[in-house]
Amino acid sequence: MARRFRWFMPLVVVTLVVAACGTSTTTDDKTVTVIGTWTDAEQDAFLAMVKPWETDTGNTVKYQGTRSINDILAAGVPTGVLPDLAGLPGPGQMAEYAAAGALQPLDDVLDVATYTDETSPALVELGKSEGKTYGVFIKAALKGLIYYNTAAHDYAASPPATWDELISQGATNQGDAEALWCVGISSGDASGWPATDWIENILLRQSGPEVYNDWWAGNVEWTDPKIKAAFDLYVDVIDNSYGGGTNTVATKFELAGDPLFSSPPGCEFFQQANFMSGLGKFADLAAGTDFNAFPFPAINPDYAKAVEGAGDLFGMFHATDAAKSLMKYLVTAEAQDIWVAAGGALSANKNATSYPDDFSKNAGAAVANAEQFVFDASDLMPSAMNAAFWSHMVSLTNGDETVDEALEALQEVAIDAYAAE
Amino acid sequence: MTAAGAALDRVGPKQGWLAHRHIGLHTALIVLMIIWAIPTLGLFINSFRPATDAFGTGWWSALFPPYNFTFENYEHVLGQSNIGTNFLNSLFISIPATVIPIFVAAFAAYAFSWMEFPGRNILFVVVVGLLVVPLQATLIPVLSMFASWGIAGTFLAVWLAHTAYGLPFAIYLLRNFMGSLPREVFESAAIDGASSVTSFFRLALPMSVPAIAALAIFQFLFVWNDLLVALIYISIVNPDNLPLTVSIAGLMTSQGAGTEFLGAAAFISMALPLIVFFGLQRFFVRGIVGGAVKG
Repeated sequence: MARRFRWFMPLVVVTLVVAACGTSTTTDDKTVTVIGTWTDAEQDAFLAMVKPWETDTGNTVKYQGTRSINDILAAGVPTGVLPDLAGLPGPGQMAEYAAAGALQPLDDVLDVATYTDETSPALVELGKSEGKTYGVFIKAALKGLIYYNTAAHDYAASPPATWDELISQGATNQGDAEALWCVGISSGDASGWPATDWIENILLRQSGPEVYNDWWAGNVEWTDPKIKAAFDLYVDVIDNSYGGGTNTVATKFELAGDPLFSSPPGCEFFQQANFMSGLGKFADLAAGTDFNAFPFPAINPDYAKAVEGAGDLFGMFHATDAAKSLMKYLVTAEAQDIWVAAGGALSANKNATSYPDDFSKNAGAAVANAEQFVFDASDLMPSAMNAAFWSHMVSLTNGDETVDEALEALQEVAIDAYAAE
Repeated sequence: MTAAGAALDRVGPKQGWLAHRHIGLHTALIVLMIIWAIPTLGLFINSFRPATDAFGTGWWSALFPPYNFTFENYEHVLGQSNIGTNFLNSLFISIPATVIPIFVAAFAAYAFSWMEFPGRNILFVVVVGLLVVPLQATLIPVLSMFASWGIAGTFLAVWLAHTAYGLPFAIYLLRNFMGSLPREVFESAAIDGASSVTSFFRLALPMSVPAIAALAIFQFLFVWNDLLVALIYISIVNPDNLPLTVSIAGLMTSQGAGTEFLGAAAFISMALPLIVFFGLQRFFVRGIVGGAVKG
């Protein structure tokens, strides 16, 4: 018995090993592996979008949604273990992966003329590296919308065109509202990003797209008076916010707008991106009826047309026929229509118009037709810079740092972060 | 005074002092335990509260009326389409990834403790030294090795990875335990004609059950709670093989929303390790060595 037992465990091990080898699936040419950052409802929407393609071509999409896409690609690019298609962390990494030869150029894959015609020029440009297209935006977001409760006051007829108008209209319609603004910048390990959006939106309307683009590229120092002016205005917003800086830091961004609807209201305005309409209390209310939003007003009237947006960049690592066909399909208006109809998503494609409500439709149009479109600056910065930007916004907001201290610290980070690029 | 009385006199005060000391110790332990358990209790209560309540007010406010509890968070977590498969995958990853390293480590620990061979100590130092290698540093070379073997994305890849990551600690722990077993036991066995293999299976292994049980819990929890290793070695090639932790991480959306489900998810994922812990708990207290050597 003992002798038999002796061989039992190794046998089990060997059996398991054989079983494990047996379960390995070889990816055939009918399967496209895709990794993206969309999970949960967004994942369902993405899968709904690729469904017609699967039916038409007989191919299948193996999708994995994860927020750790940076880790996966960081390990995947040097080893060559890569999905066929994947979301990319940002244009900086895209250029890096393209230079490493991991990303495949899309110029022969896409119908470039149609794609360029249908897509916002700024987004087309961001997907290029060394003159070739490596990334496409298959999902976009509009930043800098100012939400309000229509029951308190409906700004739809005459939305404030300038920052001064916004402040004066806010004062007129304050009613019982405790504060002018609601702000919440807590978001797990990415806490602080909603505050960076604030700075970006202010800077864009104060100093214009050129300064904005120079700033994220590292060509404007953080201690520059223009950047300081944006930070000063942000501090002013926090001083007039519901619960002040301490509350702002503690409030989850997705619930920060909820006091708009409490009685008496906590605040009058709440600045967030278009996807906010699917989060917090907004999700249960009707966009355009119960709440609405107007675009971030111009601070300097010269920059009234500028719009800030963001998006999910997508690239191709293996140029298989199925992957090429899927990539081509994803940017079409037909596919994008399914994506936007599910709600919460905007398309970079002008011809995708089946938004579930006018609210999203207007936001989508604002992205696709923007005269001056800039991309989320913190997403474009080197990752060390981005992380420092987030964390200093938190310490600035809760009062641990003054504007000057934060800017000096950020400038120190910038010296190393941009040198490492 | 009889001898027995003298003995009582000697024992009496000592027992009283011991008992007194135990009261202090027990109070300290209970206080520490309560402090330790409070965050978990808070998480547990919050997992039954709607998101707006959970983030708006402290968990203790749920203990007072008006009561507002819900199963929505649990329903959402359990309603994920692939959660069942991922749960089974977690088991299919965790069990072999616990059994294999312990089995290998037990052999190694026996050899390091009771077999004489040249370079034994140096080899042992090297194995223990591997404890300092950070897991993250190995991801890229190991992944490229798996890729060249063609096993990236399979369960075998994660079993091998977890075995390798777990071995240095497992060997170290088991060696220390086996090394402290009484030498006489093995000497008598050798005199009776037992080979090393027999000594290992009939003596060393059964006597090391408490250490093996402790190790099994460590290793099982490490593998069960692992997200990174599974993500890197599996997700790129074959997302069908991913474990439960990936579904849980997926509850948070790309914008960082959905954190209200994490409490519920944590308790669902915690359930099985707790069962494993309580199942193996009795092995901790079973002292097998006691009485093995008659003086």
